[in-house]
Amino acid sequence: MAGGQSLVPLMNMRLATPRHLIDLKNVAGLSDIAMSETSVTIGSMARQRQIELSPAIRRACPILAEATTHIAHFQIRQRGTIGGSIAHADPAAELPLIALLLDARIVVRAADRKRSIPARDFFVSTFVTALDESEVIETVVLPRLSSGEGWAFEEFARRHGDFALAGVAATVTLTGGRYSGARLAMSGVAATPVVLPMAERLLGEEPSRALYRAVAAAATADLTPESDIHATGEDRRDIACHLTEIALAAATERALHSTDRSAG
Amino acid sequence: MRRSEDYRLLLGAGTFTDDLQIPRTLHAAFVRSPYAHARITAIDVERALALPGVVAVFTGEDLAKLTEPGVTAQAGAEPMVMETLPTRKVRFNGDPVACVVAVDRYVAEDAIELVEVDYEPLAPVLSMESAAAPDAPLVDEDLSSNLHTRQTRTFGDVVSAFAEADEIVEVRFSTQRMTHVPIETRGVLAVWDAGRMELTFYSGQQTAHLLRTNLARRLRLDENQVRVISPDVGGAFGQKIPLFREELTVAALAIKLRRPIKWIEDRLENLTVANHARDDSAWIRAAVTKDGRILGIKAELWADYGAYAFFTPKYPIDSVGWLLPGPYKLQNYEYSINVVITNKCPAGTLRAPMALVTWATEGMVERIARQLKIDPVEVRRRNMITSRDQPYVSATGYSYEALTPWEGYEQMLRDFDLTGFRAEQRAARANDRYLGVGIASVLEPTTYGSAWYKKSGRGSGHEAATVKVEPSGAVNVSVGIVPTGQGYETTIAQVVAEALGTRVGNVNVLLGDTSIAPYGMGTRGSRGAAAGNAVAYLAATEARAKVLRIAAHLVGEPIDNLEIRDDQIYVLGEPEPRLPLSQASWTAYMDPSALPAGELPGLEIHRTYDPPAMTFSNATHLCVAEVERRTGRVEILDYRVIEDAGTLINPAIVDGQIRGGVSLGIGQALLEEVVYDELGNNQTATFLDYLIPTIDTVPNIQISHVQTPNPHTVLGLKGMAEGPVQGGLAAVMIAVQDALDGKGITIDRSPASPSRIRALFRAVEGDLDE
Amino acid sequence: MTAMRRVRFQINGQSVEQDVAPRLLLSDFLRDVLGFTGTHVGCEQGACGACTILLNGEAVRSCLMFAVQVNGATVLTIEGVSPDGTSLHPIQRAFHENHGLQCGFCTPGFVMSACALLKENPAPTESEIRTQLSGNLCRCTGYESIVQSVLQAARDLESAGGQSAGKADSHAG
Ligand SMILES: Cc1cc2nc3c(=O)[nH]c(=O)nc-3n(C[C@H](O)[C@H](O)[C@H](O)COP(=O)(O)OP(=O)(O)OC[C@H]3O[C@@H](n4cnc5c(N)ncnc54)[C@H](O)[C@@H]3O)c2cc1C
Ligand code: FES
Ligand code: FES
Repeated sequence: MAGGQSLVPLMNMRLATPRHLIDLKNVAGLSDIAMSETSVTIGSMARQRQIELSPAIRRACPILAEATTHIAHFQIRQRGTIGGSIAHADPAAELPLIALLLDARIVVRAADRKRSIPARDFFVSTFVTALDESEVIETVVLPRLSSGEGWAFEEFARRHGDFALAGVAATVTLTGGRYSGARLAMSGVAATPVVLPMAERLLGEEPSRALYRAVAAAATADLTPESDIHATGEDRRDIACHLTEIALAAATERALHSTDRSAG
Repeated sequence: MRRSEDYRLLLGAGTFTDDLQIPRTLHAAFVRSPYAHARITAIDVERALALPGVVAVFTGEDLAKLTEPGVTAQAGAEPMVMETLPTRKVRFNGDPVACVVAVDRYVAEDAIELVEVDYEPLAPVLSMESAAAPDAPLVDEDLSSNLHTRQTRTFGDVVSAFAEADEIVEVRFSTQRMTHVPIETRGVLAVWDAGRMELTFYSGQQTAHLLRTNLARRLRLDENQVRVISPDVGGAFGQKIPLFREELTVAALAIKLRRPIKWIEDRLENLTVANHARDDSAWIRAAVTKDGRILGIKAELWADYGAYAFFTPKYPIDSVGWLLPGPYKLQNYEYSINVVITNKCPAGTLRAPMALVTWATEGMVERIARQLKIDPVEVRRRNMITSRDQPYVSATGYSYEALTPWEGYEQMLRDFDLTGFRAEQRAARANDRYLGVGIASVLEPTTYGSAWYKKSGRGSGHEAATVKVEPSGAVNVSVGIVPTGQGYETTIAQVVAEALGTRVGNVNVLLGDTSIAPYGMGTRGSRGAAAGNAVAYLAATEARAKVLRIAAHLVGEPIDNLEIRDDQIYVLGEPEPRLPLSQASWTAYMDPSALPAGELPGLEIHRTYDPPAMTFSNATHLCVAEVERRTGRVEILDYRVIEDAGTLINPAIVDGQIRGGVSLGIGQALLEEVVYDELGNNQTATFLDYLIPTIDTVPNIQISHVQTPNPHTVLGLKGMAEGPVQGGLAAVMIAVQDALDGKGITIDRSPASPSRIRALFRAVEGDLDE
Repeated sequence: MTAMRRVRFQINGQSVEQDVAPRLLLSDFLRDVLGFTGTHVGCEQGACGACTILLNGEAVRSCLMFAVQVNGATVLTIEGVSPDGTSLHPIQRAFHENHGLQCGFCTPGFVMSACALLKENPAPTESEIRTQLSGNLCRCTGYESIVQSVLQAARDLESAGGQSAGKADSHAG
């Protein structure tokens, strides 16, 4: 158990009845946040609240800080951890989405071994990951956003703090007014968060609303999200499409601004 | 005037049911049906009993020996009988089949999983249509049909109205199944005093005395062997009225085991089994003239009442029926009510049981305007009741007096720039933004007198109070109403202090204990003010009269020359008081021979009061909302209420009722919904699935008051509490419809959830995202 | 059942040492064992916020923690917010003056959450309050009066020099 914010509700409803619980808080050094030139290494027991408030993360990986503020409520983020969220692998969760977008590396260890799993291989299905029984997440290593990279995180939840019906995260880079790099990922639209290769359609293009619309429509056209009591699959797809347009516009806006700044 | 309740509640020193601790208390938990409909073929409790810490496990067969079944009788329909725990059949997902009693709740919950129940699943009945089908399996095998109630009532000349009409306007409205969600769940601590043979039943309740009467009967005890104490109650909203099967079971077992037993429901149970409400629909046809006069209406009303009857099944939907003409001049009216029994959680009264009505009436008026292409303001001008039309007797026989629906509506139109809004709405539409406004006139029935109960079946609407001026002059008051957050301790102290001429701080109000409070009808509807506060005022007025008689004798002045202010007795015109009030009270108890001739010792007044058959309040609600086409989200941009609740004792408390009520209405309009799957499993068992309004979903509300006193009530009180819910649902739904107007979209079901809105847009536009 | 564990911690200025079952929830421990019944339980699903307490000065859900987890920690519950146990702390007073409660069941959770919120952000805007307190449910008030209460508490604490005598401050972290 990490923060217990997913596990304990399940235990209280007797949907989970573990025989033994190990509180990872008692394992030293698991909640440090360390910066390098290229990456941010976050201990699995780092609290979501700690991540969202960390000035270093706000600088190096602002999309992570922003996405984290959308998790539940501050009292829950006070306990909930990055490792717990990633291990729990809820398809609508924010942190798995960001891990996937940035292709974070999930460093896991068992008693006698340690391995590093790329996020794209980590999320297997709803609540299912590549972790085996004996492994725990030790750290999550995320690449820094490069300077000039614009980013956006958008989600749609029925009330603040609810699990999102869909979420979209994007980063873009522009060179000479045209896209030179782009990443796009979504949550809530499949059994795991998904990366959309459609982002490549942006490359070489100039920003425009028509372009966002075309990319968003193409990116979401083939999605077949599940239906549940909050939204049908179609609703989720419609919403994801809309969020994609907004996210592309917002990320582009940020990229343009930071370019302005570096130019000025 | 700030509330006296707040102090203990803010310090964390309130006493809610689960805060009570009594030594040797055992804890109960219930084994519940995983099926919506099944026969119970066997129950094996052996493994559960073997678990250390388990004291006993009782089934329906055991409880049948210890208790009487419940019977709900309704004129013109078959009585419905409910066992304490079912012995033969379970009727909904969550139906309790056995009770485990153990040393603590953790062990009790462990043991639940060890009770083995064999079921033979039956086909569940899950909708109004399938329930009413002739070949439907019977939910209650003692009834001849699942269509339990079917009644039609006709007023005036409906046939001619429809024959003379230029047009018939037809509308349908359905509201979703909801649940009450007090933040404190249900619970009970039952304590049997084996020496005195008395049961004390601690439980947050709304109607303590009625519960006591019922509890004594079902436990086969005399009524003086049962004491109900409702401590602080963490919200109720109509849920904490009936005697629930779990509560009865716990009481019976506390007697049987001679140990205190506590049962505190968890949230999952509260959401799935603690009564639901609102699963209603209305199909209305209005006969209208070309110029928008409503000649008559016919309504067919349906309700899905779930598996058992804790209240007479017709009650909520019938209140939609008799209120449907609303604040309109309309004498030709016919309605039918149809109540079906299904394999879902039983339904009951949720704050504003008639919630659908304002949306239905006002939604109908809006549709008339649209169909006839007349301004909705004009349709209202032609049909709405004004103060000049009163006293007015409604089609269904209710007398309206001192109501201001048209005046409130006009004032709203003066305060809100509707023309400006329409321009803004058009401009927004050009940018693919959908703004709408909804204005709803609420007619709220508030205080139901005995005459009303007599007419609609049985029961009483009277209320009772005791006022005791103790020897020292300190005042103790009690009333039969039970507070669940309405601030009655404060408002009762206010009216008593005013009547007696004492300070509010000198009045202590004790409510909710049947051994202290006089027998009253408790807290239902909006009767707190015009019944509860009124009777306290009357009792205090009698106490004042006695104080003055004693004082007059003591100071040798005529009674008419005396007045009481600030605990002092003055002779009119004199600047200095003659006596403290306490001298009169002291004399009454401690020196009776000094009393005037014929005056009995003591200063304890008991008084009852039966309010008029029905009193009403009215209000006008306005909501401006934006519907986001791409996501289906509805955002409320502006919300206003003009309330006429007659004389207000404490405006801050009334504003609190308005804000809380509108919030519930918004929850119904946008968020909340109990969902069952095709097998009848409840899908909304957590707060992540059953969504109630949060602080970021409810807007600020601009409130103004008009105070038109009711000429027939004490102090001109009208009361209010449920109207804001009616108005909240109606104003939001009408605003959403207005936003979608011209798109060919009709929203006739609540909630206006993103999913529903998206589906409506998709249906008219094909794939919008292309 | 599994063996009891010993916990030592500070609560509302008192030291407590107690043996607890490993599966005992912190909320049940506070209420049923230690008698701090001001902490309410509205869901045990982490969703209503009624059980919010301050753990080492931070607002957390006591229904989502086990009693054993507070070993070595400092806990503040609603009972410890008042400076002397009888007079109202400025946050409590603001709820009283703005009619920020009706049934009062949600209130301890709101007050505790507001304590944490105002410590971190002494002058929140209305929209910050609405975002930060969205994890506390109230079925009675419609929330506007709660927003007003927190706004007033912020002003009152500010004019008292950001300091108040309350234990809420001295024990917070
Ligand atoms: C009301 C409510 C609303 C919520 N809303 C959201 C939301 O909007 N978005 C969202 O993302 N989450 C939400 N959550 C979940 C919450 O944010 C959790 O913090 C998070 O999902 C799990 O983190 P945790 O540290 O609490 O993990 P825990 O609950 O402790 O553990 C979760 C699972 O992960 C395993 N685990 C934990 N740490 C590790 C590790 N280091 N290595 C291997 N396995 C591990 C545990 O064994 C367990 O199976 C919500 C929770 C609640 C109660
Ligand atoms: S009881 Fe802990 S959040 Fe509801
Ligand atoms: S005051 Fe009753 S739940 Fe908030």
